[in-house]
Amino acid sequence: MSIITKDRDRNTKEWIKTLFHSYEEGLNGQKGQPITAFRKNAFDLLMAEEFPTRRDEDWKYTNVSPIIKEAYTLGKSSKISQSEFDQFLFEGLDAVVIAIVNGVLDTELSNMKSMPDGLKMMTVADALQNEELAGRINHLLDQKGGTAKNVFLRMNRAFAQHGYVIVSDKNAVVDKPIHFVHLNTRSEDSYFSHPQMFMIGTKGSEFSVVESYHSTNNDAKYFTNVSNYIEVEDNAHVHHYRLQFESKNAFQITNSIAIQARDSIYSNYSVDLGGKIVRNNISTEHMGPGINTYYYGAYLGMDNQHIDNQTFIDHAVPHCESNELYKGILSDKARGVFNGKVLVRQDAQKTNAYQQNASLVLSDTAVMDAKPQLEIFADDVKCSHGATIGQLDNESIFYLKSRGLSDEGAKNLLQKAFIGDVILNFRYEPIIDKILSMVDVKLSKK
Amino acid sequence: MLKIQDLKVSIEGKNILNGINLEVKPGEIHAIMGPNGSGKSTLANVLAGRDEYEVIDGSVDFTGEDLLDMDVDERSHAGLFLAFQYPVEIPGVTNATFLKSAINAGREARGEETLKPVEILKLIKAKAAMLGIDPSFLKRSLNEGFSGGEKKRNEMLQMAVLEPKLGILDETDSGLDIDALKVVAESVNALRSEERSFVVVTHYQRLLDYIVPDFVHVLYNGRIVKSGDKTLALELEEKGYDWIKEEVDAATA
Repeated sequence: MSIITKDRDRNTKEWIKTLFHSYEEGLNGQKGQPITAFRKNAFDLLMAEEFPTRRDEDWKYTNVSPIIKEAYTLGKSSKISQSEFDQFLFEGLDAVVIAIVNGVLDTELSNMKSMPDGLKMMTVADALQNEELAGRINHLLDQKGGTAKNVFLRMNRAFAQHGYVIVSDKNAVVDKPIHFVHLNTRSEDSYFSHPQMFMIGTKGSEFSVVESYHSTNNDAKYFTNVSNYIEVEDNAHVHHYRLQFESKNAFQITNSIAIQARDSIYSNYSVDLGGKIVRNNISTEHMGPGINTYYYGAYLGMDNQHIDNQTFIDHAVPHCESNELYKGILSDKARGVFNGKVLVRQDAQKTNAYQQNASLVLSDTAVMDAKPQLEIFADDVKCSHGATIGQLDNESIFYLKSRGLSDEGAKNLLQKAFIGDVILNFRYEPIIDKILSMVDVKLSKK
Repeated sequence: MLKIQDLKVSIEGKNILNGINLEVKPGEIHAIMGPNGSGKSTLANVLAGRDEYEVIDGSVDFTGEDLLDMDVDERSHAGLFLAFQYPVEIPGVTNATFLKSAINAGREARGEETLKPVEILKLIKAKAAMLGIDPSFLKRSLNEGFSGGEKKRNEMLQMAVLEPKLGILDETDSGLDIDALKVVAESVNALRSEERSFVVVTHYQRLLDYIVPDFVHVLYNGRIVKSGDKTLALELEEKGYDWIKEEVDAATA
């Protein structure tokens, strides 16, 4: 470690330490509860670990220094009216809404009581008091994921104010999604928040969780550090949406770590429109045959935005399939990264692994780094990956203009279509419509 | 409606059209035939405004305006429609969304009130029904994974929805089986009216069994070398193009 990095880490750990102690003191009510040790353990690990630098292979394209040098405060609640809040919902989507405003749960804006049959939700603090659930949480925490030097998982666990566990009943098929709406309304001071979820898809069940990130103020500076752990049991299907529309100065790091049992499906739907530096780590480990994993990702970077997706699929057993589709558009000085790791272990015969990453780079100063990384040790497999970086197709522009669209209209529609190719795989029309209209708004700001 | 005078066009320095003269009046259907490389598709694409072609000389008057001076989208707003030989596939945008954008772009440009999504959907569905197209077609991504026949059908649907004054079909029949070809022909016949004209560019006479033209022109070496009525098409079918080539070559030798 260089001296500069050492100084950086020492400074960062200093403010973290001070903040953690005052945070602990403020949580007197939870003294002696398992959640206290849960946080403290994570804090101790965090203090012992190093923050990543660009010399670390997994962080080569993303410099976390601007994110961690800031001494953040904790999130503080503030009032926002129902009507103001409602504009961040998906019109027409019947969902259980959990409102987290500036990192703090707002029970008035939430409607937790409308939880559908077949799903249960509780805080992590409560779940840890249940021996069985505590065991499962700890098992999930043991999962390494696909990214080395991932101190952000520990940071999340040390500071998470509102962690939730969602568990489905056996064979319950629930259409109504749970929607976590994370909204920033502050503008002056910077704070960090740590959304945290454990999703457990019990045997034969199916449900959807949506996490969306918004800001009322597009200049606000804050850091959202998300951890999601997903366990999908036999024949279950978990749909997980991560829709990121943060302010243009916000930082976000997300870690989603999934483990899947036989015949299960995990579908991850990810959208990045906002944020200044965004890093999205997602990983899945296959534990039994017949598993399907779907990752859909869309990104739209402008100005100085930096959007980095790192995916990892661990094919450890035979007869499983994974599909990854990531598409994005970069203009101005935006930078995109896609690092798609697929490991097919020796035992994982008959694996089908498909990965596709396509980017449109629309300015001379925008950059895309695409790095597919397939390591295949089994011999009877079908694996493919494609990484393309290109511009808008002139023939398509001509086609659309010949139907009456203006030059700008044709280009916007093509960009929307490029992203839409990913978004149309989403399951809820209100979500699709809203994302596409937000893409529209962002494109027409040019 | 359309008056082409002495149109000369080149691509990358190579002359393709060497002086085309053609007048299309409202309600008429003109078929343009000719051997491969005669310049048929070039004519269709120059009219639509494809920019890799260079117009060296000549003029094109479309409803009293200088067509060659208009941008591609302006030609569409003025009422010109080109049915592509190879329609482009655009994944990620549904047919319905695309048609919505196209309709309102035209209306806006002409200073007409734009239509609400519901009104547009109703309009599109009515046109689809008129052409015997299944409504599920509208929810599919634009031409993505469509068969050759489906793509051409979709071109016809777009034409029906945009209601042009002049429809140009660029070898729309190429590669179609007889059933798909009949569908295309029926669509054109359904859209036929006293005000609407068509220029049908084709390599084969077969299409003209179903779309009966008022005039048939033979293009060769970038010129219209023979014009006649529908019987000329039948003659070409029977005798091929060689006799015309020989006639022309003998005259210019």
